[in-house]
Amino acid sequence: MLKKIKRNLKIFLLFSYQSLKNTTQSRQALFLFTLAKILRFVLLFGLIFLIFSKTNNILGWSLKQVIILYLTFNFIDTFSQVLYREVYRFRPLVISGNLDLILIKPYHPFLRVLIGGVDFLDFLLLIPYFFLLLFFILKENILFLSFFWYLILVVNGLIITTAFHIFVLSFGLLTTEVDNAIMIYRDILNLGRFPVEIYQQTISFVLTFIIPIGVMITFPVKSLFNFLSFKNILFAFFIAFFLLSLSIYFWQIGLKKYQSAGG
Amino acid sequence: MRKYLFVFVLTLKEYFTYRLNFLIWRIRVLISFLVPFFLWLTVTKQIKNFTGYEEKSIISYFFFSHLLSYFILGTRTVDITSQIQNGEIINLILKPMSFFNYYFFRDLADKILNFALSFLEIIIFFSVFSFTLPQLNFNFFLPFLSFLLIGLFLSFYLNLLISFLSFWSTEVWAPRFIFFILISILSGSFFPLDLLPKKLFSIILLTPFPYLFFLPVKMISSPETLINKIDFNFLFFMSIFYLTTLFFLSKILWQKGLKNFSFWGR
Repeated sequence: MLKKIKRNLKIFLLFSYQSLKNTTQSRQALFLFTLAKILRFVLLFGLIFLIFSKTNNILGWSLKQVIILYLTFNFIDTFSQVLYREVYRFRPLVISGNLDLILIKPYHPFLRVLIGGVDFLDFLLLIPYFFLLLFFILKENILFLSFFWYLILVVNGLIITTAFHIFVLSFGLLTTEVDNAIMIYRDILNLGRFPVEIYQQTISFVLTFIIPIGVMITFPVKSLFNFLSFKNILFAFFIAFFLLSLSIYFWQIGLKKYQSAGG
Repeated sequence: MRKYLFVFVLTLKEYFTYRLNFLIWRIRVLISFLVPFFLWLTVTKQIKNFTGYEEKSIISYFFFSHLLSYFILGTRTVDITSQIQNGEIINLILKPMSFFNYYFFRDLADKILNFALSFLEIIIFFSVFSFTLPQLNFNFFLPFLSFLLIGLFLSFYLNLLISFLSFWSTEVWAPRFIFFILISILSGSFFPLDLLPKKLFSIILLTPFPYLFFLPVKMISSPETLINKIDFNFLFFMSIFYLTTLFFLSKILWQKGLKNFSFWGR
């Protein structure tokens, strides 16, 4: 088992090294993309301050809590983009039939099609997001147990995002449609930038129970400030487990239906 | 003129060929609308009067912003980048028609289709969630029409300028991404710009972004919150200034780009 993990890690590092080389090919674009993402982050951060310049809470959420939510969103979103960037390049593999060349390799295809293209451009941003998040959390009077549940639920959120990416891959195998599916996922994820309570009840329900963006982003922050019941924590674990299992099941169905029609 | 009419019709037909793509694009547009709409609705419900904005005026602002933003920003000029890079543009410049007019009519088809669907979506959305449809404010109809036309051409020339960068660089996606981010925040799709502190708002008015769709939306939704804050002559002057500058800049860049352009193998 340990030997297998070591081998997979070695393959992952090899793919990541190749990806790093690709990223550094165009330094001008690297600079501009990073600049644009920082700009978006800062401007939306400013928007939060603009709102809180006139009030001290929004539906019970204070400025600091909304900042931590916004940073948690950025951390989870960026982390998934760092790790799962290769999903965005899955479609050409399916329509050209080149996926065959990956499927016959003696390693799990997820090593290549899911995590085989670490995005170092976003990785640069993940570091400041992480430290900013830590800075704002440490400024609060947080109990160790709450912080512990926060960490666990962030990991849980990352499992849910993994499931969504596997769903997109499976959908790609079945329909060759990847680009729009992943962009819809990104748009829906963006709804989690602010507390899900701001949406009308129906949308809020959908974002908690059907497309659980709320579980991914709002739940960890709620647990940090003791707003989350233990029942909801258990629900978060259940939904992550359920979605991950379902996504893997869909991937297997996708593989069975895949006909290697391209090439 | 007839040939451009055909360009217009053919562009519409293209969209109807790739219906699923277009449908998914519209779903994405609607999802993106939800964040700012509900965020500001919650804020104005709680604060009642946020720098002159109340629940009713914020609903009205986002209603018209959803309608007009995609009408003004809708463009097909992004295709120019790949046409320059793969040499396809040669086929286009050899044809007996103006390149600028060709793309303007393609843009127009995109805009009209987006406008029609935005209208349909927003009406359905407002009915499903039981929001009252806002009323049109005709007191400033002439300024609305002027700013709408200025915004339309401003967006066209700005987009052309970014695409023309492909004559010199293969990395056009990055500047376009910056442009997209600036537009999404500084043109008023995330919040009405006049919510900002006056000094910051005045600085943003020095950039071309508010002249895209923020002003037409304000003129048709709630002009009264703006007219007390800013001089109309200044707004007209700045918008015409940007329009003229971008018009000449895009013509110059097009000429220079064509001289610089070389392609072989076709």
